[in-house]
Amino acid sequence: MGLQISTRESGDVTILDLRGRSTIDGGESELLSYQLQKLVASGVRKLLLNLADLTQVDSSGVSIIVGTYVSLKRQGGDLGLLRPSGRVLEVLTVVHLIDVIPSFQDEAEALASFRPRGYSASS
Amino acid sequence: MTTPCSGAVAPTTQKTALLVASGGEVDELLTNVLASEGWSIQRIVDNQHILALARAKPFDLIVTGRETRVAEDVELLRKIRGARPHVRLIILTDKFTPGDVISAMREGAFSYFSAPFEASELAEMVRAAMAEPCWDDGIEVLSGTPEWVTLTARCDLATADRLVQFLHGVRDPSIPEAEKDHVIFAFKEILINAMEHGGHFDPSQHVEISFIRARRAIACRVKDPGEGFSLEELRHAAAGSSPNDLFSHARVRDARGMRPGGFGILLAKKLVDELIYNEKGNEVVLVKYLDPPESPII
Repeated sequence: MGLQISTRESGDVTILDLRGRSTIDGGESELLSYQLQKLVASGVRKLLLNLADLTQVDSSGVSIIVGTYVSLKRQGGDLGLLRPSGRVLEVLTVVHLIDVIPSFQDEAEALASFRPRGYSASS
Repeated sequence: MTTPCSGAVAPTTQKTALLVASGGEVDELLTNVLASEGWSIQRIVDNQHILALARAKPFDLIVTGRETRVAEDVELLRKIRGARPHVRLIILTDKFTPGDVISAMREGAFSYFSAPFEASELAEMVRAAMAEPCWDDGIEVLSGTPEWVTLTARCDLATADRLVQFLHGVRDPSIPEAEKDHVIFAFKEILINAMEHGGHFDPSQHVEISFIRARRAIACRVKDPGEGFSLEELRHAAAGSSPNDLFSHARVRDARGMRPGGFGILLAKKLVDELIYNEKGNEVVLVKYLDPPESPII
């Protein structure tokens, strides 16, 4: 099914919903790379990748996630992962990505992690 | 070998597919994929009339039915290729033996799906068959027994995909599926590295591959046509990152303006038991050990 990417926003966090696979085969990882680079170039600094419907990832997909994470960190931004599962979670665990990049099961919790410390919705 | 693009189809002609009925979801899926691209589809109920039809008229793609044995499909393919050497034929089968994959590759099948298989994977392969302008001789079996297969693969991603699908088609009950998936994943990472860094994705270049099935291990050997490399020099690969700083290679790549990458070797290392490079660095062996079969209780 290739890779389908849809983008939405919640406050200053940009959420990418990924559906399908991010592998080198059919240019899916290239598409993901292009989308992420475009967002970062446009000034996005807080990114949440929703992996709930991502079925496969290979080294090309892993590399793009890490490259984006490194690039955002260098520019004072951050990146989080939402609901990785199955084979995708297995791959991210094997390369210890899951130990370094914050990963969440709950979207509200993920969005809260981007807020500066001491921030509360009522303040 | 024929020239790489000898099977190219003129882009202006309507492409035609011959589909043998498999029933249910598979037939519907194939129809949807092909029709959405404007292909003309001819359907038949079994393999019996494929040969006569294929001899009478060129088809760009033929997909066999699941009910026939692979040996019959392969014999059919051999006869069709006698008249139509560039035909793309995808074998679907519910009736197979572990060695059938070798004969399917040897006779030049475009792809091979043994049950159970993912319909979405079949759809991707059909799309590849539709899009791939040249495929002949991408995979050439040099020698093959059920325990040891040696072949060459052309340095392009489409050929890598086809080869990987053939591996998924191997159904050996003595190899747990999870272990097989790990080996195939690791192999694909190493294969693409070899094609990219050793062969520069140059379709005139080939990677040499061997698969060896021992009683308690599976081994894959991949030799690329390049100059090789040293793992110690790979500061831009994850395998060269410090254990305390997993992404140091990514910062090296970022600073050098290199595209994201470098996780292939690390992933492969984690998924098999041994990854052994030769001195030059252009040849690598992957080894996965298998648990011994359980002894019968006496």
